Amino acid sequence: MIGLIILVSFIGIVIIAFASIIQKKLADSIILFMGVGLGSVILFFVFKAPDVALTEAVIGAGISSLTFLMALKHLGVKG
Amino acid sequence: MSLKRELPTSTISGFALSGILVLTILNILLHNIPHPVTTAGDKLLKLNASEGVANAVTTVVVYFRGFDTLGEIAVLFIASLGIGLMLHSNTQCEIKTDSNFMLKTASKILFPIIILFGIYVMIYGHLSPGGGFQGGVIIASGVLLLLISDRSFEVPHAMIVALETFAGVSYVLIGLIGLLVLDKFLGNFLSPDISDMGLLFSGGIIPIIYIIVGIKVGSEMSLIVQNLIKRDENV
Repeated sequence: MIGLIILVSFIGIVIIAFASIIQKKLADSIILFMGVGLGSVILFFVFKAPDVALTEAVIGAGISSLTFLMALKHLGVKG
Repeated sequence: MSLKRELPTSTISGFALSGILVLTILNILLHNIPHPVTTAGDKLLKLNASEGVANAVTTVVVYFRGFDTLGEIAVLFIASLGIGLMLHSNTQCEIKTDSNFMLKTASKILFPIIILFGIYVMIYGHLSPGGGFQGGVIIASGVLLLLISDRSFEVPHAMIVALETFAGVSYVLIGLIGLLVLDKFLGNFLSPDISDMGLLFSGGIIPIIYIIVGIKVGSEMSLIVQNLIKRDENV
């Protein structure tokens, strides 16, 4: 069961990461990058590192996406 | 116009590289699933009992590697300083549109809960997963919610300066007291009692240091978030 969770979340991470680098819009890439963070939260939790999972959940979902979005807005890239 | 179509070499090599990476990591994952904790973790868990702290990660981060944590906090401070130098502005913020009324109403309800959860994670860092870094960033995300919902809100600068100075100075002071009493920097001079393991008041100076780390990280991250959102248009 745990092996299944690990496999599904790992393959999900790879697929989402690939989808995020082939997006045309940079904003979509950032949103998908948050999905990569979600998958790694599951992986960290399954591998018995709940501290790292909590950090990744907060920083990957909140702070890093805010930084990327603000940088995108600051650069003025359209689309 | 050439008839020969160019091969998409970058795409093909990208696929090949990611395929190799996937196979390698799958191999590592499938070979490592059923094994229990490795030997280094076992040794650390045995040492952990000597400090009377239930969460072994906290003991490693704050006690065994306490000096490194001081360095990490200094790195975060330098990052905050750099962002403040580059993006700080005294002019009015650039958010012109008023935010959604759903966001305004929800932020009033959610902000106290987020702050409470952050303080809980900070204080119970030596008993359950979490700690100063995580709690501080959770508090900063609460401040982020206020910043995007209310455009006239600003983080009180004097309070942030006072909190950050207090946290940094008291971290070093606690370390120096340990140096005076026990002849080592960040020594646990409050004499932890192992029978108290699992209680809120246990572990000597370890929860105190983690709360200090939480205060410092929370104030610095709040300042970073504010500088990122309300920066000068002309920089």
